[in-house]
Amino acid sequence: MLKIFPDFLKSLRPEFHQHRKNVHLDSFFTFTNYRYLWFMSIFILALTALSPICIATLIYYQLIETSVDSDLNHRTKQLTAAAKSAVTFFMEERLNALTFTVNENGYEQLADNARLSEILNNLKLGFGGVTDLSVLDAGGNQVAYAGPFNLEGKNYKNQSWFEQSLKKMNYISEVFTGYRGVPHIIIAVRSAKTDGSFFILRATLDTERLMQTLSSYKTGDYADIFLVNHEGVLQTPSMHYGSIFTPTNLIFPTDSDEIEVREISLKGKYIISGHSFISRDLTSTPFVLMVLKEKAGMLKFWQDMSFKFNWIMGVSVIIIVIVITFASTFMVNKLYRADRAKAETMMQMEQSQQLASIGQLAAGVAHEINNPLAVINQTAGYMKDLFTFKDQTRNDDELAEYIDSILDAVDRCGTITRQLLGFVRQFDVKIKKVNLQKLISQVLSFHKKEAEYRRIHVTVSIPDIFPDLETDSSKLQQVLVNLINNAFQAVEEGNCLDIIASQIDTNTIELVIHDTGCGIPEENLKKIHEPFFSTKQNGSGTGLGLSITYGLIKKLGGRISVQSTEGVGTSFTIILPVKIKEGRIA
Amino acid sequence: MKILLVDDEQKFINMLAKRLALRGIEADTAYTGEDALKKASDTVYDVAVLDIKMPGISGIQLKKKLCSLHTNLKFIFVTGHGAVERSEDEDSEKDIYLSKPLDIGFLIETIEELTQAG
Repeated sequence: MLKIFPDFLKSLRPEFHQHRKNVHLDSFFTFTNYRYLWFMSIFILALTALSPICIATLIYYQLIETSVDSDLNHRTKQLTAAAKSAVTFFMEERLNALTFTVNENGYEQLADNARLSEILNNLKLGFGGVTDLSVLDAGGNQVAYAGPFNLEGKNYKNQSWFEQSLKKMNYISEVFTGYRGVPHIIIAVRSAKTDGSFFILRATLDTERLMQTLSSYKTGDYADIFLVNHEGVLQTPSMHYGSIFTPTNLIFPTDSDEIEVREISLKGKYIISGHSFISRDLTSTPFVLMVLKEKAGMLKFWQDMSFKFNWIMGVSVIIIVIVITFASTFMVNKLYRADRAKAETMMQMEQSQQLASIGQLAAGVAHEINNPLAVINQTAGYMKDLFTFKDQTRNDDELAEYIDSILDAVDRCGTITRQLLGFVRQFDVKIKKVNLQKLISQVLSFHKKEAEYRRIHVTVSIPDIFPDLETDSSKLQQVLVNLINNAFQAVEEGNCLDIIASQIDTNTIELVIHDTGCGIPEENLKKIHEPFFSTKQNGSGTGLGLSITYGLIKKLGGRISVQSTEGVGTSFTIILPVKIKEGRIA
Repeated sequence: MKILLVDDEQKFINMLAKRLALRGIEADTAYTGEDALKKASDTVYDVAVLDIKMPGISGIQLKKKLCSLHTNLKFIFVTGHGAVERSEDEDSEKDIYLSKPLDIGFLIETIEELTQAG
């Protein structure tokens, strides 16, 4: 297992990392930046593969959120409606019971404490939550009282609930502490006496019973159900806002019987809030029912599922990226190997072509040497003949002349062999100062006889003031040999070959090799720099000359272009730097 | 027997002519194709020794023109190339090709064979 992991990592590491820099070989590579190619391949594949997954995930989350929100709102609304119904029924039941008591008994019976105590006991048994009962006259004086507290004779004239009760037929108060200091609610019913004046029957309700009713609707730890008054003061304890009578910042813009559900933020928590005013048909209550549900708690199931989903997604993404990296490495490795093989072949071909160029030159030189050798041969032979056929002595002037002739011929052979040797030696030389005029003359010297024989007019035009080039003379020489050889092959008897050099600026020169030969057909112009493309018949051309020339010009930091018209001629234009950049040459 | 030597290498054919003369073979020299044609129009030769590559009229072209003047004329081609470029004529098989530098003995033998076969 331990051994497999490094092997796996190795298979993800592309081969070009081990590439050793070789400027000469590298110049033949089609792709120069394999690192960039590798990264781009991984990036594009990853983008293509992961984009749909990411988009689908986002859409999935969006849909889940929308449906969960909608579900939460619906559930909160249902809970609020149920709790509202229970609270309304709680209030209504007790108010109706009180109204029934007033109508059934009348003032005279209710003003009797014994009867009132009996009624209180019945109410406690029937409904529960009723602490005491009292009867008040129109002046606020307590006429009768039944209950555990000694409140007989109290006057409530100045109490707010009494004033409210006088105005309406019945009244339900907010929660308040009153004289007893205990939170309670007052329900009061107004009724007329036989003499036309009116009295009030008041009941005190225990808030504990109401709170129990509310608590029964609480589901789970994340729900909070409580009552507030219209000003937002707590009427029952709240899990979020605290104990009773604590003011909240809850604002209720509309006094509507409808249930409203909204999302609020409380202490950094997202909460779904439902509220509704508690009202009756004939009288309204001061209560607003609040239902708060913590979104996080309700979302726990979805969050657990999302957590698992994220894990699966994360692992999938890692696997996809590893597979993509593996595939990219595999593809880039294949490309790199093919490119390296091509570059190595091209480099070998360049060397072969160099040798072929030398071979071509050697053949030309041999021909040139053979002629003077023939003269030497015949002259020396004739000298031998003179000694054989005539009796001549050492002071013979004629003999001296023939010897001179031999020496002259030998000298010519010497010149040619020196040129040849000089030419071959330059293949070893790297960057040095090159006189273009001399280099062109040297190359042309091998074509001198051919030009004479075929009456080809060769002109070389170089300005008097022309800079020496600091370049690789052997490569430039090979370029000139290739292009001039091609030109000689393209021209027919009586045609012209013009070599024109000019300086474009201080750093650049232009060299045009123009012939009035057969020209290159348009369809071949695009292919001439391709390796192994040749129009020469019978396999006399390797198809590498121009391909290698293009490569050499690139190495010399220049560029080459060709203009040709079939039947009119061809011009090769070379742009070269006067001084080649360091490190360019292999 | 009369020989016509044609080559732009003047010293070569001058020497060759002198050496042939020493061996009893009369030889005229011409340095160009035009000169050769002029001489051939005045004189009848048995064998023409021609250089293949010459300025102006080449050896191959000259042969065609000389054939039209003298149908019985025999030809020996001389070339400085190691490999010999043959003429594409129908009669080219009869032509002899020799490479430079020439051996005089071999040349005379070849001339004699051509004239005797003739």
